[in-house]
Amino acid sequence: MTSLRSYSSLVAAVASLVMAFIVLPVAFIALYAFNDAGYLQLPPHGLTLKWFVNFFANARFRASLYSSLIISATVAPACLLIAVPAALAQVRYRFPGQGFMNALIMSPLVVPGVVTGISFLTLSARIGTGLGLLPIMVALTCFAFPFAVRALTANLHGLDPRLEEAARNLGATRLGAFLWVTLPQLRPGLLAGGIFVFVEAIDNFSIAVFLTNSRTTTLPVESYSYIRDFDDPTVAAMAVLLMCLSAVLVFAIDRLVGLDRFLDLK
Amino acid sequence: MVRARPLILLLPVLAALGVFATAFAMFVVVSFSTAVPGTVLTAGPATLANYSSVLHSPLAQDAAWDTLRLAGLMTLLTTLLGYPLAYVLARSPSRGLRRAVLFGLVVTFLSGGVTRAYAWLIILGNRGLINQALMALGLPTFRLAYNETGVVIGVVHFLLPFFVLTLLAALKNIPLSLEEAARNLGASRWNVFLHVVLPLSVPGLVSAASLSFAGALSAFLFPELLGGGRVHMASNVIYETILTDFNLPRVAAMAGLFLVLALTALGLLGFVLRRAAGLWGAAMQ
Repeated sequence: MTSLRSYSSLVAAVASLVMAFIVLPVAFIALYAFNDAGYLQLPPHGLTLKWFVNFFANARFRASLYSSLIISATVAPACLLIAVPAALAQVRYRFPGQGFMNALIMSPLVVPGVVTGISFLTLSARIGTGLGLLPIMVALTCFAFPFAVRALTANLHGLDPRLEEAARNLGATRLGAFLWVTLPQLRPGLLAGGIFVFVEAIDNFSIAVFLTNSRTTTLPVESYSYIRDFDDPTVAAMAVLLMCLSAVLVFAIDRLVGLDRFLDLK
Repeated sequence: MVRARPLILLLPVLAALGVFATAFAMFVVVSFSTAVPGTVLTAGPATLANYSSVLHSPLAQDAAWDTLRLAGLMTLLTTLLGYPLAYVLARSPSRGLRRAVLFGLVVTFLSGGVTRAYAWLIILGNRGLINQALMALGLPTFRLAYNETGVVIGVVHFLLPFFVLTLLAALKNIPLSLEEAARNLGASRWNVFLHVVLPLSVPGLVSAASLSFAGALSAFLFPELLGGGRVHMASNVIYETILTDFNLPRVAAMAGLFLVLALTALGLLGFVLRRAAGLWGAAMQ
């Protein structure tokens, strides 16, 4: 049977090397974060948690972690609130200009981050809001909502509209049918879209860097300036925390919607 | 009633797009104005001076060329490395292996840009892992970071999960029975790939490559951290310009030209890939 396998051992070997290339750097950073010395030694001489202590002892890191969590926790639900009705309009209705509408909805994704950052910097300078949390939240919402629309559109396409029609025939109002029949079936899309937006918002550098000031920074922007000024593994400790968060998210996704399903909705 | 409904449903998204469009309109307007030195204010009659000064600046011209050249190279490398992995992932008979690889990919994918740029900094840096190993072995060391090599490695690593996950979705939709039929009729694996799999994967390949190219064109954090000030891609030049002198009109003109360059390059890549695939399909018949 093995002769009918679609790929040769050579292709399998190349794929394994590529996978190692993808995963190993992430593993090295974990070693570095627990390493006693200020530079990476293999094998490590001593293990320590001091870089994690360093991270949390640093007031600027604490403040930026807090800002980043607030920003992401606001941007993710805001994007879902925009995306649910938009996805419904795109999937359940037919109207003139729908293709154009779809291109318009996806357009923020093709604009380079720096250009979006400069635009929102100009906007804040022009209307005098200054920089900080609110402009970052607004800019990241305007940039990230297409990810949520994409997840929910894919989810809606897989649903049977007759279920909602049956509820209507049995006397449910339009809103009632949506809330009790359709919305529960949108859970995978809401979860996939929400997680995707959350991660994009917490990781964003290219837009946020133009909108931070000396008082309010985000975790990626603060990490970037720390790396420029200091040469120690404190940022590696932060990276390990982010990796743990993403591993927890992946396990949660797998339990709640299944990994394959998530990737189809991504 | 039914006609009015989509409009109400679209109101939130139209509001978000409206804010985005307003921000864009502002920056386009500002790009035609003149900076008032020392302030964030702009003034004066509409002028093309910002555009002409950017277009005539050797730094901006070099950055435009370097951005296209490096993004092309990054996309090519991502495609060459990513295709075999996506294919093995789509066709592996082992469910356990598939799941393990998917887990690794998605965790890496979600762990973020700063994490990964930093990982490459400690691996490729002058006192990094590779150079320490070389020193321990008594071999000469190399300058792997703070130049184009480091930036290309870092960005390719960043793009690979996007590419593989996008192509995987397309490859999974190609029925295995087509490949099995070709194999049963005596075609070698290589011929099956060239005549069956590759042509059928073209739409997925075009979108995966376009996604990678878009990501490579707008690379910012990786050249900033791994380029050590020596690699000037468009995003970095724009950022450094606004840091050194806060001349918003000039930077807005740079950003506007960069947007036009990026969208043109993306459109062109899609066109060329589709065209090449068409010719390839015709030649195979």
